[in-house]
Amino acid sequence: MKKSLKIILAFLFSCTLHAQVPRQIDIVKSNDATRLIPISISGFTGEADSVLKFDLSVLGLQVTTADNAEYLISGSQNASLEGRLQPTGPNSSAGNGFARAYSGGNTRSQAHAFADDIVKAIRGTSPIFHTKIAFCRKVGPIMELCVSDFDGQGVVQMTHDGALVATPAWSPGGRQLFYTSWKSSYTQIFEHDAATGQRSVFAAYGGGNFNPSISPDGKKVAMILSKGGSPNLYVCDSDGSNLKELTFERDEASSPTWSPDSQTICYVVHSGRASLRKISVNGGKPQPLPTGIGGNLTSPDWSPDGRMIIFTSGSGNFTLWITPAAGGEAEQLVAGEDPCWAPNSRTVIFTRQVNHNPVLSLLDVPTKHVKDVGQLSGSCSQPAWAR
Amino acid sequence: MKTLNLVSVLFIGAALTLGLAGCAHKPVSTTPIPNGNRNTPPPSPQSSRDTGLPPGGMEPTAPPVTITPGQQIPFGTNTTPWSDVIANHNEDAETLKPDTVYFDFDSSTIKKTEDKKLEDVSTYLKGHMADALRVEGNCDERGTEKYNLSLGERRALAVREYLANLGVDPRQVVTVSYGKAKPAVEGHNEAAWGKNRRDDFILLTPKTP
Repeated sequence: MKKSLKIILAFLFSCTLHAQVPRQIDIVKSNDATRLIPISISGFTGEADSVLKFDLSVLGLQVTTADNAEYLISGSQNASLEGRLQPTGPNSSAGNGFARAYSGGNTRSQAHAFADDIVKAIRGTSPIFHTKIAFCRKVGPIMELCVSDFDGQGVVQMTHDGALVATPAWSPGGRQLFYTSWKSSYTQIFEHDAATGQRSVFAAYGGGNFNPSISPDGKKVAMILSKGGSPNLYVCDSDGSNLKELTFERDEASSPTWSPDSQTICYVVHSGRASLRKISVNGGKPQPLPTGIGGNLTSPDWSPDGRMIIFTSGSGNFTLWITPAAGGEAEQLVAGEDPCWAPNSRTVIFTRQVNHNPVLSLLDVPTKHVKDVGQLSGSCSQPAWAR
Repeated sequence: MKTLNLVSVLFIGAALTLGLAGCAHKPVSTTPIPNGNRNTPPPSPQSSRDTGLPPGGMEPTAPPVTITPGQQIPFGTNTTPWSDVIANHNEDAETLKPDTVYFDFDSSTIKKTEDKKLEDVSTYLKGHMADALRVEGNCDERGTEKYNLSLGERRALAVREYLANLGVDPRQVVTVSYGKAKPAVEGHNEAAWGKNRRDDFILLTPKTP
């Protein structure tokens, strides 16, 4: 749908012609990634209005009145959507305004495309509003795999096994889904073509087979197998061949996540307490990932730009933390579990407990702003962002 | 029904494995996707994929397993494909229900209080060599699914090792982790959590021909 959208009109506002030379402090202020930026939205109704407000909120753009806004967003929506971004107030000379029209697709798709352009102009991050997520939805004792838009709209149930399912993971580009299935009463890893629905057993070794994670170059799959007598980290080629055991823990390993160059895996070792380690895809000695904090550290996810690793800490009340991928002082973010980065390396989807029920939620990491995904039925957990 | 000895079970396992080897790598099923492109040809079956299942099945004359206390016990190649176990056994969740083993928080260590239960299970299995045992590891609701999947598996494996140390043939024991997905009781306090951190025992008894 995104490709069918055609930008038929695009020009930059020439407001800089009338502005004074901006003061340095204004530029720094408007570019500050960690600050909520006030915006106003006018002229839109119904779905276009709600999509714009939701999307922009996810990136820490906060709707307020025109008087208090730093950016005015206006336009109209009929068959096509016409939208305009105008910097105002102290940063009216920022030079990132534009006016464009969007046609094709549907209203939601047009509004997402406009929102992507606004975010690109203000935050400088890559578009995410046409991306997909996978997650597990539990209804009673049954858990099935679902895929939806990043905002929880357009849910498609991928499995109909009447069994349990867990730990979905996308292949790069979002073509294949790998996940743990109990369809056979034992854990197996399935490989599932998201477009055709065709699937096959990827791993069914003796003992447990779970928690697959596909390398960003698509060539390797990391997973947890207990065929050797303990749950340990293994890696194999994307066709299942060349299986190699990477860790040899007496207790257990879990939660593999890849560096963007597909050369290093960060994972969790439980030995007394849970801690984060890194190991080469070729094996060798695991290296602890220094975070400067204690407690049980679980479910790491390496940012697509390679800079940061986000993870879960806690034993009862769980919180999200972020640490430089090379190790360093971790920073606490918000309450939640099981984080997964969006392709923009800024937004994260995670699970938040509301009245002991998991809810999918979106976090703008630099501003720590949290926005729940739209209403989904059942208990939804284990989100995986296609990237 | 219980007159089959272990050698017979192993032999049947080997025969079934050989018989099913030709279809072990085909896609298990197709899940229809609403609005999915039904005209795209399915990917060709990955016939060369190594699923780790034994190519020739079990040897009826496999050497006895030697267990060193504290050692982890590989599943090795002596594992019957799960589909065979399911197809050829009845599941009995009641017989060993009183022996359900409970764990401390975030631990897979077998507590002293659970020793007697495992001796009972061991005695039962040694007296019913045709039966197999599925140990199901479970966790309380705290923590991520990924972490609890591994912890639950470790709990199941801990019981498998314990039984092997009591003389049970580990080839009689298979494991599965449910992580936190299958609580025994609902609730959000230690009373519930303590009942959910457990290994359940499912007896797999051969179907009568």
